[in-house]
Amino acid sequence: MTISCQQVTGEVWLISSQGRLDQSLNPQLEQSLTDLLDNGQNRLIVDLSQSNYINSGGLRCLVTAWRQAREQGGDLVLCGLNNRMEEIFSLIGFDRVFTIHSTYEHARRHYYP
Amino acid sequence: MDKEQILTVPGRYDQIQVICKFVSAGALEAGLNKDDVFHVELCCDEATTNIIEHAYGAEDLGPITVTYEISEEAFTVTLQDDGRPFVPDDVPEPKLPKIGSTSQGEALDDILNSLQIGGLGIHFMRQLMDEVYFSFNGARGNTLVLVKNLNPEDQE
Repeated sequence: MTISCQQVTGEVWLISSQGRLDQSLNPQLEQSLTDLLDNGQNRLIVDLSQSNYINSGGLRCLVTAWRQAREQGGDLVLCGLNNRMEEIFSLIGFDRVFTIHSTYEHARRHYYP
Repeated sequence: MDKEQILTVPGRYDQIQVICKFVSAGALEAGLNKDDVFHVELCCDEATTNIIEHAYGAEDLGPITVTYEISEEAFTVTLQDDGRPFVPDDVPEPKLPKIGSTSQGEALDDILNSLQIGGLGIHFMRQLMDEVYFSFNGARGNTLVLVKNLNPEDQE
């Protein structure tokens, strides 16, 4: 269970979660996103393909970072949601808040069309 | 014959996964499909988080007792704590984005507010479970009952 961050193209950062996004991993996700945004890195892709669980705490981390990125003139887009994750996002309307791409490649083109 | 299992753990975040595993095993045994097991697990996660954050107000301030019961008709989970009375009607329904909305500005602030007071967890419970009951009495504290009906086609 971990969160990894890597600079992928230009100013774009990829944040990948591996494991359940619950109370044990959410603080790490929040810290990673906060560190990037505090350093002005606000063009973010969060890859959720290695996670098949997210609770309201994880959703709170993502939406808070999304808002901060947008306020800075950047964005936070998601990719790799499996069916279960998609269901949770749509249940609360977050599929209309976030830009969600099927794969990382598609998400990268969000910043570099 | 109905089957009942009971687990009592300290009210700490590191116990949430213990509760989730306990309840998931019961849900599988009851014959729920994998999606329903996930729904039960998520709701127990949210309920436990709410107990620690709102009923107790912090970690390690009291126990959480989880009971599940398997009957022919339903899988029922009961969570009990000794914390402050929890009145779900005091928690507003989260104002979630409507279809076609741009989800900006005020609407987004409402979402963020509801996320911070546990409203989203209750929303999940009401959406994902068939029945949700809250009650409080001085002797036993808060009791939350979550019911998932067993559909015959799920029990194969």
